[in-house]
Amino acid sequence: MSEPLSKIPDGLRYYSGAEARLRRRIEETAMSVFDGWSYEEIITPTLDYYSLFERGMGPSEAHHAFRFTDTDGRLLALRPDVTSGIARVTATLFANRPRPLRLCYAAPVFRQQGQSTIEWRRESTQIGCELVGQNNTSSDIEVLAIACEVLQRLKLDREYVITLNDVEVFNGVAEGLGFDAGARDQLRQLVDGRNVADLESFLVSYASSEECRAFSELIRLSGRLETLGKARRVIRNARSSAALDRLESLWLIIESLGISDHFEIDFGDLSRLDYYTGLTFKIYIEGAGARVGSGGRYDNLTANFGKSEPAVGFVFDLDALSGLLLSRNHGIMLPAQSEKRAQCVINNDPTALFSEALERRARGERLVIGSSGVKP
Amino acid sequence: MTQLTIAIAKGRLQQGTLELLASSGLCDTSEALSSRRLALEDESGRFRFIFIKPMDVPVYVAHGVADCGVVGRDVLMESEADLLQPLTLGIGRCRIVVAALAESYGNSYGMVRVATKYPHITATYFGGRGQPVEVIQLSGSVELAPVLGLADCIVDLVETGRTLQDNGLRIVEVIAESSARLVVNRASYQLKATAVGALVAALEATRPEGDLQSD
Repeated sequence: MSEPLSKIPDGLRYYSGAEARLRRRIEETAMSVFDGWSYEEIITPTLDYYSLFERGMGPSEAHHAFRFTDTDGRLLALRPDVTSGIARVTATLFANRPRPLRLCYAAPVFRQQGQSTIEWRRESTQIGCELVGQNNTSSDIEVLAIACEVLQRLKLDREYVITLNDVEVFNGVAEGLGFDAGARDQLRQLVDGRNVADLESFLVSYASSEECRAFSELIRLSGRLETLGKARRVIRNARSSAALDRLESLWLIIESLGISDHFEIDFGDLSRLDYYTGLTFKIYIEGAGARVGSGGRYDNLTANFGKSEPAVGFVFDLDALSGLLLSRNHGIMLPAQSEKRAQCVINNDPTALFSEALERRARGERLVIGSSGVKP
Repeated sequence: MTQLTIAIAKGRLQQGTLELLASSGLCDTSEALSSRRLALEDESGRFRFIFIKPMDVPVYVAHGVADCGVVGRDVLMESEADLLQPLTLGIGRCRIVVAALAESYGNSYGMVRVATKYPHITATYFGGRGQPVEVIQLSGSVELAPVLGLADCIVDLVETGRTLQDNGLRIVEVIAESSARLVVNRASYQLKATAVGALVAALEATRPEGDLQSD
């Protein structure tokens, strides 16, 4: 059976007109903010070894990649993320460059996924930055400040929330309960889904009823500084406590910068535990049903490529941002065709036509070549 | 003022959900109980109710078109949508079971044919113990399938067990207990935290007593 020529594969699409211009504008805005913080653009290969992504993202995430075989039989993949490539280059080609490294990118990524997931586009553009080789509160603040500035420049600064968590809070608790990897992931899913009922019945066989209560209380905790106090009453192990201390010092700085209105602490956010090692954050904006960005600290990632060093970074989803700005018909961000109207150049003699056109283009005018007698 | 859109599964859970919302004192659902409109606001304007097919509730909530939803756990297990499930409501209790003709069901090392409205739950359940299955997806009257020889057994929702009994089927395994759950969109949970928190607290205080942990 033949497919109609008009059909394009599921989960892929065209962008044109105002939307295409808006996307470019958003990319440029973000990249100029990155540049303002001295982040250097890096362009990674679109096609790379599948094993890169297995090492970089973990097998369960890499699994979503579109795969091909190379001429030598090795498995290639269309990149499902950019960070893996960056981790490899910092550990290898850039191994001797002075630290910290500040890198940024805006690039399409490709994932196979079913239509059932809400972000089911199979090509999407990630705009992100990574700060490699520095592990302190100030580098965590730096990337958060950059994310805030991007949103502010996009005029989205009134209605966003960034949730903060530290995966070590969870890891400390799971360690205390003596979980194996399978049970740990099951627990992670229940916490991440705020599934209190299933969580309590799951924990019954592992913990005292008091501990269960405490735990299920914890996953509903989200809020501001007082949340940390509540968490401290429930969780006492050393590993979690150290994480709570880190979150607190981060929060205090955010508060003194006067931007704490945009932040919340949320212990329930545990999306990718095998990947992040400390701070994690998610960015939500009113009007977008899903998060528009996420990030965190992944200190173990570059070790997979032979050089262990701390790293923190985040990505924005370009489609989420442009969808949001388009739906609001954002005056400032939504550029008209151009500031200048195009002047029509018409002449039946091609030589005369183009010598005029070239002259006017040299003066920087915006023009459109008309067909003779017909204004386009 | 923040308005919360609540997606309510039509059918089995509809009335119980509206009554629970009303007795929580948060909103007036009398119009919703009597009207046939598919979308309406309560008098305070703080809530909007939409009535959709159970299987569509996770879809609306995951996309953020509805902030919250009330739907059975069976539907959530089937859809695997990425939603928050902060509360079990204790209404609409039932079980998801494997049922077969009384005499025919036994362990099979070959292929088992299963008729169901829940292909995902079926595949996950049998897959979990390595049993190959042929899932025959039906949209209703599933109990007929084993009787007519279309399938060896069924996976279905059972409330009283009466339909099974009347058709000569018996429950051979219980996959899960199910009851209604409050689900919340991830972004709404953060961006409308106060309103969502108030809803969760009010429903938690109102939901019927009982063994809430059992499912």
